[in-house]
Amino acid sequence: MKKIEAIIKPFKLDDVKEALSEIGIYGMTVTEVNGYGRQKGHKEIYRGAEYVVDFVPKIKLEIVVVDDRLDETVETIRSATNSGKIGDGKIFVLPVEQAIRVRTGESGDDAI
Amino acid sequence: MITTSNEDRFRVLDGQYERDILPETGHILKGQKSRYQTDMDSPEAKLLIEQRQALVDNYLQGQETNFLEKMTTRLDEYFYRVFEKSIAARKMVISGSPFAIIALGGYGRKEQCIHSDIDLLILFDKSIPPDVEAFVQELLYPLWDARFEVGYAVRNVNECIKMSFERFDILTTVLDARFICGASLIYSAFMEKFRQQLASKHLKPTLNYLYENGEKRLADFGDSSYLVSPDLKSGFGGLRDYHTLLWYAKIKSNIKFRRDLEYYGFLSHFEYENLEDALTYIWDVRNRLHYISQRKNDTLHFEHQAEVAGLMDCADMSGLPQVEVFLGELHEKMDFLKQIYQITFEDIVSTCRVKKDAVAAQPTKTDGLVVKKRRLCFANTVSILQHPDLLLRIFLESGQTRIPLSVEARRIASEFRHLVDDDVRTDPGCVKIFKRILGLSLWKFNVLNVMLSTGILAQFIPEFLPLVHKIQYNQYHLFPVDKHSIRCVQILNNFKDPGDTMMGTLYNSVFKEIRNKNVLLVAGLLHDIGKSDPAKEHSRRGARIAGPVVDRLGFSPAEKEDILFLIENHLFLAKTATRRDIFDEETAVYTAHKIGKIRLLRMLFLITVADSKATGPKAWNDWTENLIKDLFFKTMSIIKTGELASKKTQRLIEKKKKDVLALLRESWREEEVTRQLSVMSRRYLLYVPPQNIVDHINLFRNLGDREYIWQITKANESDMRTVSICGKDKPGFYSKLSGVFFQNNIDIVGSQAYFLGDSHFLDIFNVRPPQDRLFEKEKWEKAGQDLSMALEEDHYLDSVLEKIPTEVTISSGGRPEPNQVRIDNETSSFFTIIEVLTYDFPGLLFAVTNTLYRAGINVNVAMVTTKVDQVMDVFYVRDIEGDQKIESEEKLNQIKTAIINRLPQIQSKEVMNEKN
Repeated sequence: MKKIEAIIKPFKLDDVKEALSEIGIYGMTVTEVNGYGRQKGHKEIYRGAEYVVDFVPKIKLEIVVVDDRLDETVETIRSATNSGKIGDGKIFVLPVEQAIRVRTGESGDDAI
Repeated sequence: MITTSNEDRFRVLDGQYERDILPETGHILKGQKSRYQTDMDSPEAKLLIEQRQALVDNYLQGQETNFLEKMTTRLDEYFYRVFEKSIAARKMVISGSPFAIIALGGYGRKEQCIHSDIDLLILFDKSIPPDVEAFVQELLYPLWDARFEVGYAVRNVNECIKMSFERFDILTTVLDARFICGASLIYSAFMEKFRQQLASKHLKPTLNYLYENGEKRLADFGDSSYLVSPDLKSGFGGLRDYHTLLWYAKIKSNIKFRRDLEYYGFLSHFEYENLEDALTYIWDVRNRLHYISQRKNDTLHFEHQAEVAGLMDCADMSGLPQVEVFLGELHEKMDFLKQIYQITFEDIVSTCRVKKDAVAAQPTKTDGLVVKKRRLCFANTVSILQHPDLLLRIFLESGQTRIPLSVEARRIASEFRHLVDDDVRTDPGCVKIFKRILGLSLWKFNVLNVMLSTGILAQFIPEFLPLVHKIQYNQYHLFPVDKHSIRCVQILNNFKDPGDTMMGTLYNSVFKEIRNKNVLLVAGLLHDIGKSDPAKEHSRRGARIAGPVVDRLGFSPAEKEDILFLIENHLFLAKTATRRDIFDEETAVYTAHKIGKIRLLRMLFLITVADSKATGPKAWNDWTENLIKDLFFKTMSIIKTGELASKKTQRLIEKKKKDVLALLRESWREEEVTRQLSVMSRRYLLYVPPQNIVDHINLFRNLGDREYIWQITKANESDMRTVSICGKDKPGFYSKLSGVFFQNNIDIVGSQAYFLGDSHFLDIFNVRPPQDRLFEKEKWEKAGQDLSMALEEDHYLDSVLEKIPTEVTISSGGRPEPNQVRIDNETSSFFTIIEVLTYDFPGLLFAVTNTLYRAGINVNVAMVTTKVDQVMDVFYVRDIEGDQKIESEEKLNQIKTAIINRLPQIQSKEVMNEKN
């Protein structure tokens, strides 16, 4: 099992959701996050006052998949979010030791 | 004595009994099987369980009225039976220690829900015999085993009275005390003593307790009727509000039953009927919640709401989801309990907290209104009949003086509200009063809420009526639509105060710039007026419904247009900010075009913020705030510059699109051209002539996998060439292109560069052809080869740099203007704009763009024009690293200096001559 963490642009969420459901991935956790990488925050001036935005708003997706669905899932997220520009985001893949479905107690791949 | 929570229950018992009788009682209460198995066979308990089951079944099938009382009676009967049979009880009576079994709390009030606690007091006159231990075992163990939540205390009269006045939670349970069985004389003696002490020395402290306890409860539980998971008992709007009134009435007038609330004048007949109605409803909900949870549970969690709604069998005539009808009704009832609490609260304040000298009626500056006991009242009801505008004026007076309406005034306003008719609604004086009231709706003192609860608001704006108690069932909307609308107005008014946050300052300065606050506030109040019908798209519908309201409120046609625009588009900014790429200039241009006016943008921004904040924490957080603020700034700068989003621009672009369609009619399908045009930036469409657009569309179609593709056309009338180029975006491309032209002695007269979507560019160069016309074709081929080399080898053109002149002599007379580089970082939110003013010289464009490229800057848009020998180059650039405008002052200065240093010295001929 692997956990995929993807940081994407907020407005790309619907595209990603749709693309993932097309390949049969329906579950995910979505969080509104702030951060910066190469794309930094910026400042705006209004009526002489400076308004600094330190972070860029992004969406974080977390999806756990069985090993043999990993590549397909990552590629689906990538192609749904890729515009060839800075700020498109990043995808991280982490190993998952165990998964348990609370209701039934199923574990491992069955719990995903 | 009794406490309400399991943890407390045994801790506060007499130490002796606690240890002796119930060594491990905590376990039993937590639902484990008892080890007192013998008592499981108690026939009395079995009967009780059967009776309860039958009662609950009947009740849930709708065949049982007065369920609470019947539950109470079954319990009472259980205690009679056990008491009669009990040998331990008989022993105690015979040995001269008679006692009374007394019901306390909800059980005492005969308000026993399915899994309510049962609170008992076993009361002795003086000494407590040890036999009581065996009796309690007989009486209570079977109940515990059957998972009833029973709390009990064994006390004598004196200590019980002492404790009642020491602890408020004990006092309130004693107020509800009811005799079940045993020695009734002990009960009556106890109650008499209790009442006598209460009246003689504990009245004021007790009322104070009641008052402070209410305040604390509100702070602890919050306004329950508006939580996603309302607390039916302890929350504000919960049953505790009614208990408080009952306790108050018991303390003050020693009433016995709920019915007495009306007979003793605590409530009007109308209010009492509403109270009965509300209590029946809430108890019904509570019973169903107990039934579903299979335990005592008073928090109506989101997950349970649909199920409870199903059991409540809500009438579903309007086509609304059942759960929304249910929650709407529940909120209405809880709202009523809240009003009941307010009445109680004010009564308590006036009985024990107001000084004597404040009692006389004081006049106000409005005729017909007076202040009594720090509450605003009508001087008499006759004057309302003569001047129905008093029904509005009282709210204005209240808002201005911050004196609340008295309970009586609320009652009168509510009962006289039919006087607010069409004449009042359209009367210019009344309209003016209403607008002023809107401006007085603030957090701390919100007169608009009182206007809503008395029904005057919906009477003045009948279109508002369908929103009252209108629920939207999701975790997103915390408030019914009516309350939400008022909160929105409150938040708008609160922008008057900048607070101490950065965003507060921003909202405040935007708010101050809005000239006509009434437009903003009315739009805020009416923004969701279309929600009366959930099936329809509420924004557009809202604008339609609001039309006549706005007319009645006497707004000018221009103001009306603004208000309706704001209502119709109140979701536009939030939607755009979350669903489109706000880092794309086109998003801001699109937004700017839709909104058009700075005035409207400001108001829409504030309404968006207020609307989201008024909805609840899920609709509003820093994250959303950042996105919306960013879009606001970006749109603002687009509207301010006027370049890309004005009406004139729009006309020009529309015309140009038509021209392009006409030119491509024969070779392209119309939809395909339209699609191509839709991805082109507005700046491009605005500045590029139709023929060049046609060239670009054709080039783009033929681009395929190549890095770029160009087309060289010869102008008819002049000896010039136009090079149209389309390719994949790559930092430095524009610079390399101009370098290659310079290398091949192709003189650039003008140039424009644009981007196409996210990944391509479109450039146009107007050039003088190479001097050697015979081999022009070969020359262009050579240039093409050089460009391929330059793209492959980043420093291929470095040697060309040396050929850029270090001095330029101009032919025109007079002193030459010095070279100028201006950097504008404010006009656009997306680009840093660099302007270079100089005199033309070979390699100029390469000199500037190469400097930028080497400084890590990408040229996204360029406009290069030559007038005789003076050149004006404008570049819209971004940092390559972060693909955003350049923020660092230091870097901006470095770039400026680098360009100046790269430009040659300018000298005029005359100056040269002077030198010679």
